[in-house]
Amino acid sequence: MSGDDPITLEIIQNSLQAAADEMFAAMRKTAMSSIIYEVLDMGTGITDATGRIASSGAGIPAFIGVLDKSVRFIVGKFPADEIRPGDVFITNDPWHGGVTHLNDLVLAMPVFADGRLIAWTANIAHNSDVGGMAPGSLSGDATEIWQEGLRLPAVKIIRQGVMDDSVLDIITANSRMPDFLKGDVWAAIASVRVGARRLEGLAGKYGIETFLRAIDHFMDFGERAARAELAQLPHGTFELSEEQDDGRIFNVKVTIGPDEFLVDLRDNPDQDTGPTNACKDGTMICAQMVFKSLTGADSPANDGSFRPLKVLTREGSIFDAREGSAIGFYFETEVRIYDLIWRCLAPHIPERLPAGHFSSICGTFIGGIHPDTGRQYTIVEPQIGGWGAWEGRDGNPCIFSGFHGETYNTPAEISEARNGLFVDRMALNTAPGGEGRWNGGRGLILEYRIRTETGFLTAGYTRSRIKPWPLQGGEEGSGNFVEVHKADGSAATYSFVSGLSLTTDDVVRVVTSCGAGYGDPKQRDAEAVRRDIEDGLITPERAHEIHGVAI
Amino acid sequence: MADTIRRVATDVGGTFTDLVAFETHPDGTMEIITAKSDTTPPDFENGVLNVLKKGGIDPETVGFMAHGTTVVINALTERKGVKVGLITTEGFRDVLEIARGNRPDFFNLHYEKPAPFVPRRLRAELPGRVTYQGTERTPLDLSGLPAILDHFRAEGVEAIAVCLLHAYANTTHEEAVLERIRAEWPGVSVVASHQITREWREYERTNTAVLSAYVQPVAAQYLGKLDAGLKSQGLPKSPYIMQSNCGVDSLEATSAVPINMVESGPASGFWGAAELGKLIGEPNVLALDIGGTTAKCSLIEGGEVRIMTDYWIERSRKSAGYPIMVPVVDLVEIGNGGGSIAWVDDFGKLHVGPQSAGALPGPAAYGKGGRDATTTDANLWLGRINRDYFCGGEVEADMAAAETALAAIGARLGVSTDEAAQGIVRIANNNMVNALKLVSLNRGHDTRDFTLVAFGGGGAMHAAALGQELQVKKVVVPAAASVFSAFGMMMSDLRRDYFVTQLVDLDAGAGDAIEAIFAQAEDQARATFEAEGVDPGQVAFLRYGKFRYQNQEHTTEVLLDGEVSDAALGRIADDFHEAYEREYTYRLDAPVEMVGVHLVARAEIGKLEMQPAEIGPADASPALKGRREVDYALEGRHEADIYDGDKLAPGMSFAGPAIVEDPGTTIVIHPGNRVEIDAYRNTHIHLGERS
Repeated sequence: MSGDDPITLEIIQNSLQAAADEMFAAMRKTAMSSIIYEVLDMGTGITDATGRIASSGAGIPAFIGVLDKSVRFIVGKFPADEIRPGDVFITNDPWHGGVTHLNDLVLAMPVFADGRLIAWTANIAHNSDVGGMAPGSLSGDATEIWQEGLRLPAVKIIRQGVMDDSVLDIITANSRMPDFLKGDVWAAIASVRVGARRLEGLAGKYGIETFLRAIDHFMDFGERAARAELAQLPHGTFELSEEQDDGRIFNVKVTIGPDEFLVDLRDNPDQDTGPTNACKDGTMICAQMVFKSLTGADSPANDGSFRPLKVLTREGSIFDAREGSAIGFYFETEVRIYDLIWRCLAPHIPERLPAGHFSSICGTFIGGIHPDTGRQYTIVEPQIGGWGAWEGRDGNPCIFSGFHGETYNTPAEISEARNGLFVDRMALNTAPGGEGRWNGGRGLILEYRIRTETGFLTAGYTRSRIKPWPLQGGEEGSGNFVEVHKADGSAATYSFVSGLSLTTDDVVRVVTSCGAGYGDPKQRDAEAVRRDIEDGLITPERAHEIHGVAI
Repeated sequence: MADTIRRVATDVGGTFTDLVAFETHPDGTMEIITAKSDTTPPDFENGVLNVLKKGGIDPETVGFMAHGTTVVINALTERKGVKVGLITTEGFRDVLEIARGNRPDFFNLHYEKPAPFVPRRLRAELPGRVTYQGTERTPLDLSGLPAILDHFRAEGVEAIAVCLLHAYANTTHEEAVLERIRAEWPGVSVVASHQITREWREYERTNTAVLSAYVQPVAAQYLGKLDAGLKSQGLPKSPYIMQSNCGVDSLEATSAVPINMVESGPASGFWGAAELGKLIGEPNVLALDIGGTTAKCSLIEGGEVRIMTDYWIERSRKSAGYPIMVPVVDLVEIGNGGGSIAWVDDFGKLHVGPQSAGALPGPAAYGKGGRDATTTDANLWLGRINRDYFCGGEVEADMAAAETALAAIGARLGVSTDEAAQGIVRIANNNMVNALKLVSLNRGHDTRDFTLVAFGGGGAMHAAALGQELQVKKVVVPAAASVFSAFGMMMSDLRRDYFVTQLVDLDAGAGDAIEAIFAQAEDQARATFEAEGVDPGQVAFLRYGKFRYQNQEHTTEVLLDGEVSDAALGRIADDFHEAYEREYTYRLDAPVEMVGVHLVARAEIGKLEMQPAEIGPADASPALKGRREVDYALEGRHEADIYDGDKLAPGMSFAGPAIVEDPGTTIVIHPGNRVEIDAYRNTHIHLGERS
């Protein structure tokens, strides 16, 4: 049987997926930072020799489209004879293939067979501190990227198998948590190496030509799958303008045709001086995520899957910021782009798109000295929240936003041990909002009680004032915010806060949105309303008022 | 008359109740009896009594009985447990519903989060806190408990689960709640998390307690009726019950925490593989069990199975599933068995599984109306399974139906029926190779150091091809491969795995601290065994420490030899660095900490000793029953020798291409393979140049 038969190609393609998963498992088990091993704020991927994504390990959908852009930058920067077996490259800068923010270190390793470059394995993960003006490297006060940490403009960290200690020393010297960073970088190296070994094995077994053809076929398959779905979508031009928490208006125009899915984001505000700018590559990823959900959540996500997608941005706008801009909180702007496209299309494609969810990373950073160990701790965590309802089903309570996927929250028992604080409460948010014929899912209430004299809180939440959007006459959801109840009895509410001082017995109360409702609340099944009341999810008064059900 | 020792294993499955009996006669010879009868819900004990009768076994003469059952896993997956009320620490009743927040099917925006087993109205809270270090922070306040129990009674709750924060570190609050519940509501089924596990992570522990409570009344009733039924027929001693940790446990202990049975089926097979490995001098085993709907695999190193507490049901790429934090043999399961359906997607790509044709309609060749081509149909078409001896001759293969089904796949792929069948076998093999890699290469094990032991109805059909791909030492197909699980049950010890979370930095003084944790767990184990009539002197321990670099989360288990003291810490750290580097390719110059211990306590209970038979002549021709053309997929068509498995005797030897047929299974032997039958009638397949 020749090496070109469809079964052989299929076997190689399955093995690419297995290799990406294996890279993911290796990184997860060895990382030092809880944001990587528990929250799984990381991704792994395999690209072809030119940097087209072939497969990716599970984790975060928002990371799937990152690694190809990183590899392409490296391939463009380094002449072919400077890319050698055993090399590993590192980047974190959005204008040098880093795509996201400086905390996310991307490592990429070229894979060779018979002396020929055949693929790349790559890995991205959030590191707890890469320097900059604030602990954790993220500060709402940053106005330029140099305040957000050390920039790594795609450099070699391992040369033909040998660690360049100079590079590693520079990186660790620039971190407030050098041991964590070193452990996490080594974990990433183990991950790209394990993937490279598998690919070498595949090319050796089936032959280089067959291996390469399998990758090409896989991408063509991804494209065919996407185009077949694209043909099923409603064709036309859809537009939306949406007010943001800060009063700015974001605009989107989506044109769906038989061969193209065009997202026009040019008509948007200029970039700002703060850290909420997104870069062009990042904006593309937001569109890729919605596009993927519309054109086949089940088919593989590779370069081919995204070929029909085009995104237009305007340089100098908030969605295509110029080099040097602060971008630390890029994710809150990107999740807005993602939600904007989703909301624009939801009324037209309800079978794929539910009503609005809490739609924020709700990035929460708490740090200080662990009172029992005397060691520095930093919590870096996204939050879970309520999702919107759809025809026939209530929304999900407390899962991660559309930006995060196979991501896990941190157990209270582990948080108390690791971070030396108390978790007073972890509960469903029963605030009014999100009612409908089908209700939105409940958000989260999470209370951290501080046990250290000098701690800090940084947080950046959107969907705080402008709430999750309903469909078909449902109620909008509730908002995301963080409350700080000081030990002295004072209290304040924030959506963005940077470096707020905390001390013993202060309570940080994270509150995330309930998702939005679908359909007229008066049409909700009376039995379902009675169950909601018994479950303490709605008061009898509110049930009477909103659902018209008398108990 | 000198007594024949009679050991019996019975296994209650969804459809059939199986029996295997090993009789060791006074002259040392052995006899194996097997029998099968229908499973008889809800009076399962009748099926067990029926199968004993069918096998001609008088319960009065049985010296040892092991029993395996799917009652727990079935009650869970079919949602046939009881109504549960949950009591948690104040502020944490929603943990069960919040779960971990993950969305595995992340591009699907209509993902449906698994619903909790206890609705919010039946989740109650009590004030009181202990810390992660096990000290009391706020006293437990039980004043609200009577009202909670009244509410539970009014709602028709039949079992109560209790899970309080940090109960793994300090059990006193949970114990106090238990005591009060028993006083207020005598006879109610109740379980607290610390009775099942002493590990941290409140969602996993809470869900474990809830699922345990959910199945407890069902399982207790099942075991009670089984025991009474067998005793009434004269069985001298209660049966031992197979557990998920590859051990058996007493019927009484199992009734208290039945959730430990959840994966007992696969566990017995893997334990059988470990024991078989010891018997034939191959302590490093890759074990593969291929059944009708799934293939499961596990790795055994140095004769020891790996036991973990990271077990989930209903978890997939589509669903987060539910965790059950009990000791379960480390296994990978994929939806690829003999009945797995082959299908072609909208883009012309061939897939096998995870949908299965099941027992009805079954593979197309069953002739029961199945239209889908399955792995079994492909194996029949390629001549690997004898079409004239299908299912041991009990079923007439409907080759026309198989051809129609396979031709339809071929038409969609644009290839011939032969090529479609070859493709199905190759895809199925590749799925299984990837699963085997997950338990071996992915964890830093070199498959060349391992022997592949393949069992279950379909294991032997694929084993040689998989072994070749993975370059294992050799492949062994055990005698009576299709009932191998029963062999494992009979080889099991009374075994309990204790996991205790406790953080210890490896500094001066750590030796004593670690020793104290083990000593306490060992005392508890001995006391429990003693209370059950086991001589504490007969209890043997294996001590594992769970270590990591400071700040990491995941741990690496290291076997600790002897008493732990400060003097031993250096060696322990070295062992950790080495184990870590093997699995992850690098080591760090960073502080090491212990996160907890894993103690294995076991006591032998007179297990089966296999007797070798005499080695006879190498000539296998007496077992040769014919020749036919067989398609080996990648290696093409060959005239293969066909052997009658029942006639293969110790010492016989032959070469591939060949097929061995016995009523329960078919062994496919590829060109270049060489086969030997050992003194226990196991089939050893040497794969080629390497052996």
